Amino acid sequence: MDEAIEITVTVNGTVHRETVEPRMHAADFLRRVLGLTGTHVGCEQGVCGMCTVLLDGEAVKGCLLLAPQLDGHEVRTVESLAEGGELAPLQQAFKDAHGLQCGFCTPGMLMTATALKESGRKLDRDEIREEMSGVLCRCTGYEGIVNAVDAVLNGTVATAAGEGEGR
Amino acid sequence: MSESTTTERTERKAPGVLGSSVPRKEDNRLLQGDGRFTDDVEPAHSLHMAVGRCPFPHARVESIDVEPAVAMPGVHGVYTGAEIAARTEPLSVLRPVPGAVNLPFYALAAEVCVFEGQPVVSVVADSRQIAEDAIEAIWIDYEPLDHVSDTLAALEPDAPVLHPEQMEDNLLVANPQERGDAQEQLRNAAAVVEGTFRIGRVTALPMEPRAVVAEWRPGARELTAHVSTQVPHLVRMQLAESLRLSEGEVRVITGDVGGGFGLKLGLYPEELLACLHAIDTRRPVKWTEDRIEHFRASTHGRESVHEYKIGADADGNFVAMTDRYTTDLGGQNSAFGSAQLSSIVFSGPYRVEDGEVERRVALTNKTPIGAYRGYGQPEVDLARESLVDRLARKLGIDPLELRMRNLLREDELPYRNAAGAVYDSGNYAECLKMVAEAIDYEGLRAAGPGPGEDGRYRGIGLTSFVERTGYASAKFLARRGSRFGAHESVTLRANRSGGIDLFTGVSTFGQSNETAFAQICAEVHGIDFDAITVHAGDTLATPLNTGAFASRTLIAGAGAVRDAAVKLRDKTLRIAAEWLDVDLDELEVAGDAVISRRDPAKRASLADLHMAAIVGQGLPEGEEPGLESTAHFEPEDAAYAYGSAAAVVAVDAETGEFEIERFVLAHDSGRIVNPAAVEGQVRGALAQGFGAALTEELRYEANSGQLVNGTMLDYFVPTAADMPQVELLHTEVPSPVTPFGVRGVGETGTIPPGAAIANAICDALAEFDVEISSLPITPESVWRAIRQAGDGGDGREG
Repeated sequence: MDEAIEITVTVNGTVHRETVEPRMHAADFLRRVLGLTGTHVGCEQGVCGMCTVLLDGEAVKGCLLLAPQLDGHEVRTVESLAEGGELAPLQQAFKDAHGLQCGFCTPGMLMTATALKESGRKLDRDEIREEMSGVLCRCTGYEGIVNAVDAVLNGTVATAAGEGEGR
Repeated sequence: MSESTTTERTERKAPGVLGSSVPRKEDNRLLQGDGRFTDDVEPAHSLHMAVGRCPFPHARVESIDVEPAVAMPGVHGVYTGAEIAARTEPLSVLRPVPGAVNLPFYALAAEVCVFEGQPVVSVVADSRQIAEDAIEAIWIDYEPLDHVSDTLAALEPDAPVLHPEQMEDNLLVANPQERGDAQEQLRNAAAVVEGTFRIGRVTALPMEPRAVVAEWRPGARELTAHVSTQVPHLVRMQLAESLRLSEGEVRVITGDVGGGFGLKLGLYPEELLACLHAIDTRRPVKWTEDRIEHFRASTHGRESVHEYKIGADADGNFVAMTDRYTTDLGGQNSAFGSAQLSSIVFSGPYRVEDGEVERRVALTNKTPIGAYRGYGQPEVDLARESLVDRLARKLGIDPLELRMRNLLREDELPYRNAAGAVYDSGNYAECLKMVAEAIDYEGLRAAGPGPGEDGRYRGIGLTSFVERTGYASAKFLARRGSRFGAHESVTLRANRSGGIDLFTGVSTFGQSNETAFAQICAEVHGIDFDAITVHAGDTLATPLNTGAFASRTLIAGAGAVRDAAVKLRDKTLRIAAEWLDVDLDELEVAGDAVISRRDPAKRASLADLHMAAIVGQGLPEGEEPGLESTAHFEPEDAAYAYGSAAAVVAVDAETGEFEIERFVLAHDSGRIVNPAAVEGQVRGALAQGFGAALTEELRYEANSGQLVNGTMLDYFVPTAADMPQVELLHTEVPSPVTPFGVRGVGETGTIPPGAAIANAICDALAEFDVEISSLPITPESVWRAIRQAGDGGDGREG
C-alpha cells in the first residue's frame, strides 16, 4: 500500500494541511478531501477541461496533477469567484450572455477565463476561441461563452447568444 | 367562476415574462460551483463500485473465478451474471420497436457477451481504487466468437447470429409503411434519382458521465437512488421491476444533470448493480462512469444506411419518395433503442402523395444504440436533401427553385404525409427564402462556376426540413407498446412566504426547463417570476410524469403548468374576493398581491392569502383548506417545427480541404417562451450537428471488432475554435395543437448541417460530378470523392 503524504496547500485563501494518497489527483483532492465539488471531473486524461483550476494563477487541469504536487502552492477554484453571494463580473457576464446550459463545464470555463482576464492580455474573438478551446462544452455551441469572455476582456456588452457585437 | 372568465384570464397579456429572455433560474448555483450533480453526493460510509467488462465484441464466458477478488481486503461484494440472472429481472425496454422480437438483457452478461464493454462482473469496495484492483484480480475465461461489425454485413446470410436462441438472423424487425403506389410512380417518372447514404456512429458525449449513488434502509424498505438521468420517474419504475421491489420502496433523486441529449434516457445496468450492492451490503454504494467506460457502455447514436429514391415529373414536381433504411442497434436493446423518427419525417416538408418507407433494425457486435438528439431526423435529411440536389442537376432546375416548387404551402397545412405524420402549420417557403436572401443566393449564383481568385471552388448547399416535436397521444404510444405517456404533470404549492413551489419530474440538464416553467407560471398566475421556486427531479416530491425527451417537455409541460396555475390562481382570487368584498371578476394577481383592477387600494398580499389557505383560517364558506394544485396535460398532437439552412463552402479541389464560410439557419419553433434559451438550444444542437457532419465518428476495426477511438483524445467533438460562424434567423408561427402555440426546439439544430455542407461541397465541385453520400465529411472523404468522380472508379481503393 502506498504511503500517505502530508501536504500544505492554500485553497481559495485558506491554508490546508492534509494527508493524501500519492496516487490521488488534484481534482479528486479538491472534491473528495476538501469538499469543493464545484470543480468537476469529465475525462481524467486532460482533454475535456472540466477540472480546470488556477495553480498560482495559471489555469491547469486538475486531473493531470497529483495532489502531492500541490504542496506549497496556491489553488483557486470556482468557489472563490463570488463574494458574499454576489456574482463576480465574469459570472454575471456568463449569465447575461446565456453562456451556460447544463452548467457542468462552467467552472472550467470560468477558471480558464479568469486566468485570461488576470493576464491582462487583449484578445480578439478568434483568439478567445483558441484560448477557451481547452474546455469542451456540449450544450451551448460556445457562442454565449465567447460573448461573455469578450465582454469581460474587452468591455463589450455581454448579451445572449446572437446579439453580441464584433460578429 | 364562469368558464369564459377563466379563458379570458388565461390568455390575457400578463407581466411580460413569457417571451422574454429573463435570467435563468438555474444559473446562480451553477455559476458558483453549487450545482448538485450526482457525483457530488457522497453519503458517509459509502462503498465504491467498479465494473468488469468484456474486452471482445462477441464471446462466450467459459468460467469466472471471483475468489481472488473476494479475498482482497476492502472488498465487500462481487456479482457475476449467474447471480444477477437469478436475483433480478431483465432491464425493460421503454420504447420497443413495434413487432420486434423480445430480447431481454440483464445487468450482467449471463453466458454470451455481444459487445465490447458489456458488463460481466461488478465489485464494491472501500474505494474505487480497491474495487478496480479487485476487478483486475478476477479471472474470466472467454471464448471469442465470430463477430460482425458492419450494419449491412450483419444482415448477410453468412453473418454470425448474435441471439440464436431467439432469432435466425440479425434482423430484429422490419417496419414498412406506404401510401399510394410509389413504385408505379417511379416507373412513370420523368426523372428518378437514387442513392445509398451511410451515416456514421456517434455518441452524445455529455460532459458529465453517468453516475449513481444508492442507499438502502432495510428496516424501512427504502431504496434511494441518486441517478443522473433525464427520466427519474421512469428509472424508478424500471428499478422497481428489475429489483423486484414495489415502486413505493424506490425513490429516485436527480439533481443537476451535466447534459443528456438522449443518452441518459432510462435505466442502465450499472445503476441497477449499485442498488443491489447497496441492498446486500447495507452501505451506500457509489459509481461514476469513467470516460473509457462511457465510450463503450453508454449508448451510441445515428448509425444507419439509407437507400433513398425520389421521382419527379418533367417540371420537377415530386411524384414519389421511397426510403428503405437500416438502423444499427448494436449488440442488444437499450431503453429507447435505435432511431425511430426517420420514418415519420422521411418525405420532409414536401408535397408528395405516394411514398414508401421501411425501417429495418440490425443487430451488430457493437455498443447498443439509444436515443440521441434528432433520433433519425438528421440521418434521413442527409439522404433526402442530397437527392433533391442531384435531381435538380439532372433536370437542370436550380435547387432553390426545385425546393420552392415542392415545399408545402401554408394553405396546404395541416398535411398528412405518406408515413401518416400530420404537419400542423407553418410557412415552410418563408424560411427557405430567408436563408437564400441572407447569403445573397442570386449574387453568388451570378458569380458562376469555377474556382475563385483564391483557387478554391465555392458552392451553396441548401436543406429544408420538418422536425417532429413532442408526440401524438397516449393511444398512439399504446399501439406501439411504449411504456410511458404523452402527458406532463406539474404540482404548484403555495408557501407561507407568499411564493409558489413548483414541482416537476422533469430533471434539469440544460434545457432551461426551470426557467421556462416559472415563466409560464408567472404569466398565467400573475405572481412575480422571482417568487417561484422550482423543485425538479425527485420522485418523492414531484408528480408522476413522463420525462424530458423527444422535444416534448415544453409542449406537454406548458399545458400542465398553465392548468395548475389557473387552478391555484382562481382559488387565491376566490379567497381574496371574500376578504376584500369585491367581485371576483375585478381581481387579478399582480406580483406579490391580489388587487382590484377598479380600485388598486383594495389589495391582499399573497403571503396573507397563502397563510390563510394553509392554516384554513378566514376562508370563504365551503372552501377547503390548503392551496395546492396538480395538473396533468396531454397535448392534442405532435407539433412540427421546421426550417431551412444554407451553407456556403469553399473547397480546394486538389486536397479536399474545405471551409464553411457561411452557415445560415432559419427555423420556426412556434411561440417562443424565452428567446435566449431557444437560441442556446439551437446553437448547441448545431454544434452537435457540425460534429456529426464533420469530425465525430466512432470507428470499429473490422478484423478485431474493437472500438479504436473510444477516448476523449481520439474522438473529436467541436471546440470553441472549431465552430463555424452561424447566423440564426427565425419565424414565429404558432402551432394550433399546443398550449401557447409552442413547438419543441431542442433537436432542430442537429438536422441541417450534414445535408447543407454535403450539398455545398457537391455544388462547388459540380463540374467534377462529385457525390457525397456519407457522414462525417472530412477532407479525406472529399478528396476520395473527387478521385472517384474523376476515375469513374472506386475512390476508396485509389
